[in-house]
Amino acid sequence: MAVAELHGGGIAEHVHPEPHGFIRKYIFSIDHKIIGLQYMITAFIFLVMGGMLAELIRVQLMSPHGTLVSNDTFDELYSVHGSTMVWLVIIPMLTGAFGNFVFPVQIGARDVAFPWLNMASFWMFPPAGLMLYGSFLMGAPTAGWTEYPPMSLQGAPGTSMWCAAIFLIGVSSTLTGINFLVTLLRMRAPGMTLTRMPLFCWAQLATAPLLMIATTALGAALAALFIERQFGVPFYDPTRGGSPLLWQHMFWFYSHPAVYIMILPAFGMISEIIPTFARKPIFGYRMIAFSSVAIALLGFMVWAHHMFTSGLSPALQLAFMLLTMTIAIPTGIKIFSWVATLWGGKIHFTTAMLFATGFIVTFTIGGLTGVYLAAVPFDLHAHGTYFIVAHLHYVLVGGSLMGIFAGMYFWFPKMTGRFMNETLGKWHFWLFMIGFNGTFIPMHWIGLLGQPRRVATYDPQFWSSNFAASLFSFIMTFAILLFFVNALWSIRRGKPAGHNPWGARTLEWQIPSPMPYYNFKKVPMVFASPYHFSDPLPYRGLEGELDPSVPAPVPAGHH
Amino acid sequence: MAVAVAHDPSSGSGQAHGVDRLYAETRELRINGFLLFMVSDLVLFSSFIFAYLYLRQTGQGWPPPGISRLDVAFAAFNSVVLFGSGATMHFALENWKHGNFNKYAGWMLATIVLGAGFLSGQGYEYWTLYTKFHASWSGAGIFGASFFTLTGMHGFHVFMGICYLTILFLQTVGGVYTKQKYAGLTMGTLYWHFVDIIWVFLFSMFYLWQ
Amino acid sequence: MAVEHREPGAELDRQFWIVTALIAIASLAWIAFALAWDITKVLPEAVRPADLIDALFRFLLAASGVVFIVVTTYVVYFSLRYRRRADDPPDAIGIQIHDHHALELWWTIIPTVLLVALGIFSVRIFSGIYLEQPTNGLTVEAIGHQWYFDFRYPGINGVITDEMHLPLGVPVTLHVTSQDVIHSFWIPADRIKADMVPGLINTLHFTPTHPGTYKIICTEFCGTLHSDMNKQIMVVQDDASFKKWYEGWKVKNAHASNALPGTGVSSASVNLAGGSAANGQKLFTSKCIACHGTGAFDAKVVGPGLKNVLHDPAHPQLLNGTPANEDDVAKLIKSGFTGAMGHMPSEAENSLSDKDIADLVAFLNTYK
Ligand code: HEA
Ligand code: HEA
Ligand code: HEC
Ligand code: CUA
Ligand SMILES: [Cu+2]
Repeated sequence: MAVAELHGGGIAEHVHPEPHGFIRKYIFSIDHKIIGLQYMITAFIFLVMGGMLAELIRVQLMSPHGTLVSNDTFDELYSVHGSTMVWLVIIPMLTGAFGNFVFPVQIGARDVAFPWLNMASFWMFPPAGLMLYGSFLMGAPTAGWTEYPPMSLQGAPGTSMWCAAIFLIGVSSTLTGINFLVTLLRMRAPGMTLTRMPLFCWAQLATAPLLMIATTALGAALAALFIERQFGVPFYDPTRGGSPLLWQHMFWFYSHPAVYIMILPAFGMISEIIPTFARKPIFGYRMIAFSSVAIALLGFMVWAHHMFTSGLSPALQLAFMLLTMTIAIPTGIKIFSWVATLWGGKIHFTTAMLFATGFIVTFTIGGLTGVYLAAVPFDLHAHGTYFIVAHLHYVLVGGSLMGIFAGMYFWFPKMTGRFMNETLGKWHFWLFMIGFNGTFIPMHWIGLLGQPRRVATYDPQFWSSNFAASLFSFIMTFAILLFFVNALWSIRRGKPAGHNPWGARTLEWQIPSPMPYYNFKKVPMVFASPYHFSDPLPYRGLEGELDPSVPAPVPAGHH
Repeated sequence: MAVAVAHDPSSGSGQAHGVDRLYAETRELRINGFLLFMVSDLVLFSSFIFAYLYLRQTGQGWPPPGISRLDVAFAAFNSVVLFGSGATMHFALENWKHGNFNKYAGWMLATIVLGAGFLSGQGYEYWTLYTKFHASWSGAGIFGASFFTLTGMHGFHVFMGICYLTILFLQTVGGVYTKQKYAGLTMGTLYWHFVDIIWVFLFSMFYLWQ
Repeated sequence: MAVEHREPGAELDRQFWIVTALIAIASLAWIAFALAWDITKVLPEAVRPADLIDALFRFLLAASGVVFIVVTTYVVYFSLRYRRRADDPPDAIGIQIHDHHALELWWTIIPTVLLVALGIFSVRIFSGIYLEQPTNGLTVEAIGHQWYFDFRYPGINGVITDEMHLPLGVPVTLHVTSQDVIHSFWIPADRIKADMVPGLINTLHFTPTHPGTYKIICTEFCGTLHSDMNKQIMVVQDDASFKKWYEGWKVKNAHASNALPGTGVSSASVNLAGGSAANGQKLFTSKCIACHGTGAFDAKVVGPGLKNVLHDPAHPQLLNGTPANEDDVAKLIKSGFTGAMGHMPSEAENSLSDKDIADLVAFLNTYK
């Protein structure tokens, strides 16, 4: 490769000095770590917004004929709540925030493949959020985050705004997927073979194609809905030859893979946290890595399990039922491997580890109810009820959100150089567990007994369970509030953590905290997988990364 | 696979060089990224194609009432124009690689002109459909929805391609690329072929299968 | 296969097996409880496949409960047992095992076996619902509206009822569709539901087994009053009461019927002699196909699909309950009508002549 080409080919972008000035450094940054933090902060803001909508829902449902809001407003609440949580919280958090912040360093890269594109992706996110919330001004969407036509064709003008907002965040996701895939495949440090990659990188590798392919299908569905609403072009309206089921196919062809976008990176984080604190190699590295890929592939073949009652032919229902069930196998492999990693460990129960172990239990509950729903005859009963609401929160809150909290406590020292407060963290964990289970366990029950979802008023026989759910949801909110207090306080006042407070072995922990602009002075050489706790670190070329004045690492998780 | 696998930075052959080696394949990165972009673009088309096939299966019949058969002969002619532009683009790139700037320029301009010709043909076809059959985007049931959306999307891609090629052409005139260093041209060619291939599918699905 | 990196302490000791035995006992107890649980105590059961679905539910409950007990107990047990103690040296590490292929194989196989069992069981119940239900009983149609359900019984001539009465023990074929947006028709006591999709007719089969009054609930968001779309009921009663109810409707509306009772179709007849099917086909593609598919009855566009309209006795039942004859169809095309699915334009609206109608009927007659 000619040297001249090297210099012209964009290399200069990579070696130019760290930018100065607040705007270049923190606003229009092209540094993957800053972009990661930008995603994180934005997503947390939306978590508060979406969470407040959820609490309004719960207040309305405290009595069977709640009068807090009108029916129409209530419909806006859960529609925007669901849309916010899925597209503005969990997906940006797991890919944009943790993906950006963590995996490029873990593979020994200095940045992602396309830093400018990365910045562009981020800057589509806040406007998309503003558009979604702006739709409240013109009448927000009411047909849920799934926006089934023909209902969504009749929705308030804000429904078109919703289409545009989700389309925009979808473009952002797609570009992020492309960026991450190229980075993972082409920018690994010397010696970082695929099977030496940390499992979080494997999780991102499985997620990136989902972002890239599934999201585009959603884009098409949204574009068609927008066009139909604004220009009267018939795709979905049955009275004009369109088909409402077409939307359902296209939407779920995206949204089922999307639920794996929302869980695979969390699986990856758990796979980093558990071995670190159990001080044991992750059990069954290859199986965990492989199962992420298997889940991603299977994820494309099961979408119609959301449509069992909508009039699919029995043959299709049968096929989708059986395919859906198979996903329990790779997922089970992960769960069992984590449990086996705990066995014989020297487990240090930091808050991060508490959330990771809690994750195993609560996600399993959500996954198991997923298998219930996969069984068509059972789904004929449970579809469209609070049982679904319970399932989705067990996987999304007990899975994705718990994973995010675990990741926050784990990587906070890397982001800021300081610990989060562990005492507050433990309060956060236990109150969250109580609040979360108390909120969503009763929903299984009332769903099976006859409470449909998306209702502003309900049969008085379900009052007590709903009331309990609401009370517990306040506890959950309080727990999350503690988290925010903790994080904000710890940014300035937290105990200094040094570069590797947990004695972790992946690359990001071998360089200073916060990480320097180019991550590595010299790109390291990798010669083994990171999880062998009895062996020396498998990296060469890291000498001199750490300034001698930086205090020595706190020994294995003691502080 | 991994970039610069054999390179050991600690062996210290000059740090700057180590850095460059690691990022040497920026060109590859761009082309890889571009290929993936085309994959997702393909998914976008596939989704609308799926929508079209799905709607076609539902009760209204195809072509739906009021729309007579599409004019295959004209569309075939127009397709030849488009595929021809694929060929000229190929020659343009080959000549660039061999340093024949003038030939390159000729083929490139031919590509742009043929692309524009295809677009005019499509415009003419839309016009006929509209004046003869009152077929419009929103006023012809699922025919309008699928035919105009898909061919329109394709037409838009052709249009973007023409802009892209024009920019590339101006860049080559301005000396941005060299005989060894022409990643932009490679991507332009890939894109143009991609647009051709999409048309193969659209043409067979709308015109040949009526 | 063995533990690859065997280290001191890498054996499963007695305590582990005791915990495992406890898990086994707890699991068995749970299975016994789940399989014996009488769900009808908390949620009554009204029809035939409901019992099948309850059986599946109990199976799921039993199996998933065991998985949950296993995972949770080991997580809690390992967490307690292997937690770092105060006197552990700070750099203590756990037992360094990476893989254990035999174990990995087992926990791939066991869930697979469990899922295969679940799959087989689900498929059996699935076929019990979709394939083995008798179809020779009563046909009922439910049409969703914002925000109520209409019920029609072919035998009572297009009249709309607002409750669904069913005789005990008679198999029911329930067609559901919607006139506006998507609704979903759910009777918790039946354990089954079907979406009411405009432009599509979905079908449920079941056989009432327990008399009583059961709620019908809409479970798909359908607009402002979706929350209130739960006021109507299904009544399962003995044959005599059902007959009484049924005949009551019939009697009440007996005089309202004309050529096509209950739909207001005129009785002026059309001379059908000499209709040309070829001509009819042309007319059909230009005038009718915008609203009528050429598919089966339930391949609905605006109006129903017209395949077999003159040959299948069950076909026009959504409309009036009597098998179609050429005269009826001709009258209907002539005068048009507004039924529960929507408006069928009249001869004038479609600008047809009587000759055209004759052609159309001739065409429809060939169309099977
Ligand atoms: C990851 C996704 C996610 C998350 C985290 C949540 C979180 C919560 N959800 Fe949500 N939910 C969905 C995804 C999610 N949900 C989806 C997809 C739907 C379906 C929508 C549809 O039907 O279309 C749904 C629907 C849904 C419903 C059903 C509505 C209906 O069908 O009528 C309910 C009802 O209780 C509910 C409740 C809650 C509650 C109580 C929380 C709680 O966990 C929220 C906890 C509280 C917070 C996160 C706020 C935190 C902090 C503060 C408030 C602090 C304030 C402090 C300052 C301002 C300083 N959700
Ligand atoms: C993070 C998000 C997430 C995840 C990971 C999952 C995971 C799964 N989901 Fe879920 N799902 C949602 C989010 C998610 N889901 C949402 C948001 C909805 C509602 C959308 C809406 O309508 O608004 C939904 C709805 C939904 C439905 C449609 C219900 C309906 O509307 O009628 C179905 C049906 O099949 C389903 C199934 C499954 C299955 C089988 C899994 C599996 O992947 C689970 C696999 C995991 C396990 C099984 C546990 C661990 C395994 C073991 C310990 C091994 C041993 C186990 C056995 C042998 C069983 N889900
Ligand atoms: C504007 C839409 C429209 C057009 C055009 C139309 N129909 Fe209909 N037709 C309907 C609707 C709606 C129904 C069902 C009404 C109901 O049952 O509620 C119907 C019902 C019918 C039925 C009764 C079907 C049955 O099985 O009960 C026949 C037969 C029929 N149409 C024939 C025709 C013919 C022949 C033409 C062309 C000349 C035609 N229709 C044009 C809307 C239309
Ligand atoms: Cu009808 Cu909800
Ligand atoms: Cu799904």
